[in-house]
Amino acid sequence: MATEIKMPQLGLTMEEGTVERWLKAEGDTVKAGEPLLEITTDKLTNEVEAEADGVLLKIVAPEGTDVPVQGLLGYIGQPGEQVGAPAAAPTAPAAAPAAAPAPAPAAEAAPARDKKIRISPLARKIARQMGVDYTALTGTGPNGRIIKRDILAAAESAPKAAPAPAAQKSAAAAPSGTAFPVKDLELMEGDTVEKLTGMRRVVAQRMYTSAVEIPTVTQTVKVDVTALLAFRKELKEAGHAFSVNDFVLKAVAKALRKHPEILVSLDGEQIIRRAHVNLGMAVALDSGLIVPVIRDADLLSLEALSAKARDLAERARSNQLGADEYKGSTFTVSNLGMFGVESFTPIINQPDAAILGVNCTEDELVMEADGTIAKHQVMRISLTFDHRLLDGAAAAKFEMTIRELLEHPMDILL
Amino acid sequence: MSTLSISKAIREGLHEEMVRDENVVILGEDMAVMGNVFAITQGFLDEFGPNRVIDTPISESGFTGMAVGMAMRGLRPVVEWMYDDFITVCLDPVMNQAAKMRYMTGGQVKVPIVFRAPIGAGRRNAGQHSQCLEALFTHIPGLKVVCPSTGADAKGLLKSAIRSDDPVVFLEHKLLYAKKEEIPDGEYLIPLGKADVKRPGKDLTILTWSRQVYFSLEAAETLAAQGIDAEVVDLRTLVPLDWDAIRASVQKTGNVMIVEEGVRRGGVGAEIAAEIQEELFDDLDAPVARVAGANIVPPFSPPLEDVMFPHPADIVAAAHKLLAK
Amino acid sequence: MRRFEEKAADCFTKGMLAGNIHLCIGQEASVVGSNAALRPTDYITSTHRGHGHLLAKGADSGKMMAELFGKSTGYCGGKGGSMHAADVSLGILGANGIVGAGIPIATGSGMASKIKGTDEVTLCFFGDSASNQGTFHESINMAAAWKLPVVYLCENNHYGVSTEIHRVTNTENLAVRAKAYDIPGVTVDGSDVLAVYEAVKAAVDRARSGEGPSLVENLVYRWQGHYCGDPAVYRPKEYLEEAHEHDPIANFRRKLLADGTATEAELDAIDQQMADEIEAAYEFADSSPYPDPSEAFTDVYSEDNERCVAR
Repeated sequence: MATEIKMPQLGLTMEEGTVERWLKAEGDTVKAGEPLLEITTDKLTNEVEAEADGVLLKIVAPEGTDVPVQGLLGYIGQPGEQVGAPAAAPTAPAAAPAAAPAPAPAAEAAPARDKKIRISPLARKIARQMGVDYTALTGTGPNGRIIKRDILAAAESAPKAAPAPAAQKSAAAAPSGTAFPVKDLELMEGDTVEKLTGMRRVVAQRMYTSAVEIPTVTQTVKVDVTALLAFRKELKEAGHAFSVNDFVLKAVAKALRKHPEILVSLDGEQIIRRAHVNLGMAVALDSGLIVPVIRDADLLSLEALSAKARDLAERARSNQLGADEYKGSTFTVSNLGMFGVESFTPIINQPDAAILGVNCTEDELVMEADGTIAKHQVMRISLTFDHRLLDGAAAAKFEMTIRELLEHPMDILL
Repeated sequence: MSTLSISKAIREGLHEEMVRDENVVILGEDMAVMGNVFAITQGFLDEFGPNRVIDTPISESGFTGMAVGMAMRGLRPVVEWMYDDFITVCLDPVMNQAAKMRYMTGGQVKVPIVFRAPIGAGRRNAGQHSQCLEALFTHIPGLKVVCPSTGADAKGLLKSAIRSDDPVVFLEHKLLYAKKEEIPDGEYLIPLGKADVKRPGKDLTILTWSRQVYFSLEAAETLAAQGIDAEVVDLRTLVPLDWDAIRASVQKTGNVMIVEEGVRRGGVGAEIAAEIQEELFDDLDAPVARVAGANIVPPFSPPLEDVMFPHPADIVAAAHKLLAK
Repeated sequence: MRRFEEKAADCFTKGMLAGNIHLCIGQEASVVGSNAALRPTDYITSTHRGHGHLLAKGADSGKMMAELFGKSTGYCGGKGGSMHAADVSLGILGANGIVGAGIPIATGSGMASKIKGTDEVTLCFFGDSASNQGTFHESINMAAAWKLPVVYLCENNHYGVSTEIHRVTNTENLAVRAKAYDIPGVTVDGSDVLAVYEAVKAAVDRARSGEGPSLVENLVYRWQGHYCGDPAVYRPKEYLEEAHEHDPIANFRRKLLADGTATEAELDAIDQQMADEIEAAYEFADSSPYPDPSEAFTDVYSEDNERCVAR
């Protein structure tokens, strides 16, 4: 195992240091205690010494970079050893997936914007309360601002004002599936305009339809993943590396097999009961979001599932998915844990009836049965479900099964 | 009721508290033998003795810091700085010691000190003896800040400040000392953090304190003759701020102006204006207006000094602009 | 005390402590000898290098360590930290992060004793650099004029952060400054715990009997840099060699053994007891919970706190 070289804490209120000069180059042999590089903090210069014998495998922080305390500077290890290079920034796919339907061109150019209406907050509030249409009023305040007295005067001269017209205007919403409401938003200095196209448009449409159609409920459950993380570490040390997400996918697949009532779709007046556990897996791309599907996930071993998930994610990012690989999901998992998200309310990926949001793991102090305090790792899972098809108790039971599995990781494999 | 100058009202308040509580001691320059440059403590030395009425050397940092130690040992010192401008040579004991001691010790100690100081321009005292520095003090968590206008308020607030277990900066406008006013007879207290509506009105709220209360009232009379009914709210205490009173008045009138003598940039008015627009935006019929001291050094020459701080005519003009009338 | 500082330094280096800490290793004889001259009812003010002052005045090592860790069980509930730990009930009127700021506070405490007519003495710790602050001169001047029961105790380790005292001060020693205020001033070998005790005891007795303040200067060595982690490259290496020769603990141990006051076994037992106590202090601090974030908003004021903090 390579040894990490880290930015030391050198007292005062040091938060970061600057790599001043590397005294060794990549590939140089180093001895424990030998100076590797010079760092500067405020006005002091200090040397960082090697903690182990070996070869300077990699310089992660080049000269001139600012690195926080305990931040990674480089690696020492044996010649030829592979070190965990920091994940390269995902490259943006050149284009949206081919399957994204080309939308009809957006509505013609927006009509010329109305003259800006200046009105004080108080006047606007009173106008709303009294049902006064102020759009045609001339204000008597500074710069023609409509102020309270203008509203009061207008209310007096037209005692039965028409109902607020604003509501009618916004009701002219675009028909679903073709366009979004045009709001004639005011452009401000520096703003730019681009067309809603490609993958962004598909995502916009699908999320909009799902959010408008489905009455959702989101239930969040806390899972103690201390044992899971320990188990994962054990497997890793034995040479089997799995991500937390792999375990979650496997546990969800197992839980779905036990709770087939979750695997449903609504079509008009019909409920379709799904036979297969086809797990959708949300993958974030620079240009949007895509959900490749792991078919019959419940039939795959942890190893196979992990490999499949990795393969789909990689090919999603490089825009190489086949058209059938992001269709046919019966349940979806969306994991934002790596971004430190503590809890969120995912939107259902139609035609599924539910989606599971996976959150970050956090340290938490837990009082054990014997009264001592111990550090545990916990992770929240957030299930959004279609309340037309499922009810709170059924969803909760399903979540409890997932929790049970994650808290007893051996059961995931058995 | 009796008619007293405001400096005499402050003297009465101090005197009553010293008689009531033997832990109250006063210290500062020329407090004892001379009885203070504004004669506020004349006769105190004879009555209370040199242990409780202390003439200090001209060592503001030393004696202000000493008061912190005295307060931590259970006394209730009342420190006088000859001018608030002198805070520059003793800011550490106020800002880093008195204000923070309770917090840094996790609530183990109380630091009951009153720092009294005259403030303000108008006496042609030039750059280093004429400032209104309340904004400097309101910026420091741990301090309470009191700026009375009337004699009756000054007395009742000073007594509350002395009884407060926290450090209180008590700022007295030097041009008000000689003003004679009616003072209620007998013992009374005015709580810290309670504003006082000095003149009710419905068209416009004027939030102000210290000497500008008088200028605002004068302006309000002029405005009344022009058909504008201004409400003058004397905040009296800047920390804690009487937000309930501010909200009630703003919601009544929909138009607010803040009038202060201190420098406009970073002033107390700037802070209150920001709070109002955040909390009460939908109650405003116009942007919050400020009438404040110019961003300059207090000048010496009378025609120069007079343009530095607001006068009633400035308040009237600002009201016209605010109400578009 | 040394064990405490060593443990604190160890925890700091491992990144367990936030902020920064200043250690008094090498200055223990000054700290202990001075405090030994006090009664429990007497008062002290301390400095940014104050862990030892507080422990010697009777502070609990567990609560001290917990304060360094920023835990809720610390003396100040984690609100003060290394530079502001205090137990007022033990007569500790606070350590101080501002150099020289404790001197007027100690003087005020002396003033309080005088006004109340009680006989507590206040011992005011400060360093060589603080003696160049205005507060030092303003305070001693007032204390001398009013014969306040204060002992001004200068721990002269010769360095204000990196600046050697004689580069910025004309006199050889600092105790001579007492002459300017017509009070006694003595310079003592601050590595000799008995010499320190004798000198401070005389000053404390004088203060208690109403004869006024004294200035005692303990010449000490600061083994560490200014703060924990300071490589102290600005000092000649002879300073540290000299410092180790003056190790107050090793030298006192030799003296006790030589004159037969104590045996090796007795002293080893004390060492072990100290090591155990500090380990327990560490365990207590490490296992204590952090304060709830809502605690940040309490104790800013003693009255009307919520309103004063809100706006």
